[in-house]
Amino acid sequence: MSNCNCEQPLVPHIVEVINIVEETPDVKSFYVRNVGGGLPYQVMPGQCSMLSLPVGEGMFSCTWQEGQEYQQYAIKRVGLLTEELHRIEVGQKLGLRGPYGNGFPVEASKGKDMLFIAGGIGLAPLRSFIKYCFKNRADYGKITIIYGSRSYNDLCFKNELFEEWPKEPDTEVYITIDNPEEAWNGHVGFVPAYVEELAPDPAGKVSVTCGPPIMIKFALQSLQKLGFKDEQIITTLEMRMKCGIGKCGRCNIGSQYICLDGPVFDLTQLKQLPQEW
Amino acid sequence: MKVLSKDKVTALLDKIAQQAAVFVPMANENGSGFYPWNDEHKTRPLLLNALNVYTSPKYVLFPQTERMYDLKQQGQDLSIGQTHEDGSKRVIFGVRACDARAIRCLDDVFLTRGFVDSFYQARRDNVTLIGNACYAPGVNCFCEAMGVAMTEPETDIILRDAGDEGYIWEVKTEPGEKLTQAVAEFLSDKELKAPEAKAFQTQVDYAGVAEKLKGMFDDPIWERMSQPCVNCGACTYICPSCHCFDIQVKMWGDQGYRFRCWDSCMYAEYTAEAGGGNPRPTGVERFRNRFLHKLQFFNERYGYALCTGCGRCTIVCPTGVRITDIIKEIKEVDSSVEL
Repeated sequence: MSNCNCEQPLVPHIVEVINIVEETPDVKSFYVRNVGGGLPYQVMPGQCSMLSLPVGEGMFSCTWQEGQEYQQYAIKRVGLLTEELHRIEVGQKLGLRGPYGNGFPVEASKGKDMLFIAGGIGLAPLRSFIKYCFKNRADYGKITIIYGSRSYNDLCFKNELFEEWPKEPDTEVYITIDNPEEAWNGHVGFVPAYVEELAPDPAGKVSVTCGPPIMIKFALQSLQKLGFKDEQIITTLEMRMKCGIGKCGRCNIGSQYICLDGPVFDLTQLKQLPQEW
Repeated sequence: MKVLSKDKVTALLDKIAQQAAVFVPMANENGSGFYPWNDEHKTRPLLLNALNVYTSPKYVLFPQTERMYDLKQQGQDLSIGQTHEDGSKRVIFGVRACDARAIRCLDDVFLTRGFVDSFYQARRDNVTLIGNACYAPGVNCFCEAMGVAMTEPETDIILRDAGDEGYIWEVKTEPGEKLTQAVAEFLSDKELKAPEAKAFQTQVDYAGVAEKLKGMFDDPIWERMSQPCVNCGACTYICPSCHCFDIQVKMWGDQGYRFRCWDSCMYAEYTAEAGGGNPRPTGVERFRNRFLHKLQFFNERYGYALCTGCGRCTIVCPTGVRITDIIKEIKEVDSSVEL
């Protein structure tokens, strides 16, 4: 079904960057496709790929795969590889291998109301699921998106957040920033507190959360306080990864490898694992 | 039964070495390990009657540094050159049961659970293992406690040292049979008796430890037990079953190659994230993860321990950490006390 180099899973194949979009001062979206055209491989929402330049490889959640043409990766500049990625221009060739990980439960969530909770660059993985829901709108109920970042400038995908998504049928988008800003008339405060303030009704809902580890921890507590059951609370985790295929060892939480068994877990599963994330 | 008389061992190794690289336990200047049976190394003393030698044969299947594929960069262009799976014929001669079990651990990690590692597979598919059964466990040996039968190494052929009369040559698998046919001229038919197995000097009770550890992640025992550990990583490099690796690159100008190399969970960098976070920030978490991986996590994933009882980490640890003591302490914790 794909160009997954399953015979040599650690060897990337070469893709080209056909578009680069500056989302925030430190987040850029990279659109990649096979050299000359075509989708590198099918990625389901929540699945990841290893992107590489000679300097190194890194695991990134695919933020969207549009039809059969290209994949999008929204990448924050934080380290050696991402610094380099932020310097490249359209036309650059990259190494790509994947798809990795289990992905979001897109099938099991059908017929449910969806509650997406994201902080900062944590919207990047969720966006694949959000857009999947819009694309298959009839399969999902009401869609609620609660998203926050440090400042207005740090909000990713602003056009979608402020223009496109609120116009989708039966969809509510709530946005917050950590600290007050002069030009900002919206909500101010941390995401978990905003979730509690909005107090979404757990009935018939699936919640999906992604953000910095500390935000995830508090958001999961907030959801439990609101009466969400463990199996209604889904999150996606990350750790340093090298192989992406459950062999190199470092991304384990207990006996589970985030790259292979995750990155998506529900709270029932997380409760079986040591609190080391 | 087939027997290899002791005066024919070197001739047999010479013969196998014509068709494959043969790795044999030998002494070196400061210890011992598995060396290729070639002109450079075969003058070293053979150590077939030593127990497990200082370094295990792990590197034959999973080299400390392994080139994976070549890379070329030109302007915006990037290309992958040759990949370096190495499927040349190899034989490891004299593998002890603990090290054979460690290879089974590597097999499960690299060849199962979704993805097959092509670099490991190329080597594994082309290696024949000749085991050397143990009958007199050493002072640091505790393989039996970890579920390993010292007299039955999981290998293609098992040698049983029957004293001056030679080794009983026991064929266990198809590849073992093939190799046996190739060296038939050095084997004779004779009835020999394998020696009596002696008792273990080190008593370890691993029974129930994996299950008990499930409830001990937050036990204060880890803080205390990890105190002497200096996170040097020696235990992880000497361990025959430690499989963690890093992927790195070597570039000269616009060309180079990506390689993998052994890594160690003892180092902060192992889990240090680009964004500054680290889920295992201090030695306590790293120590805990290493021993839980050995004694619990691997067991949950693959059904047996990632420690084979070879005792090497006890020998190399500069601060006297002993996995046998750790197992003992875990056993002694009163798990009826609610934390």
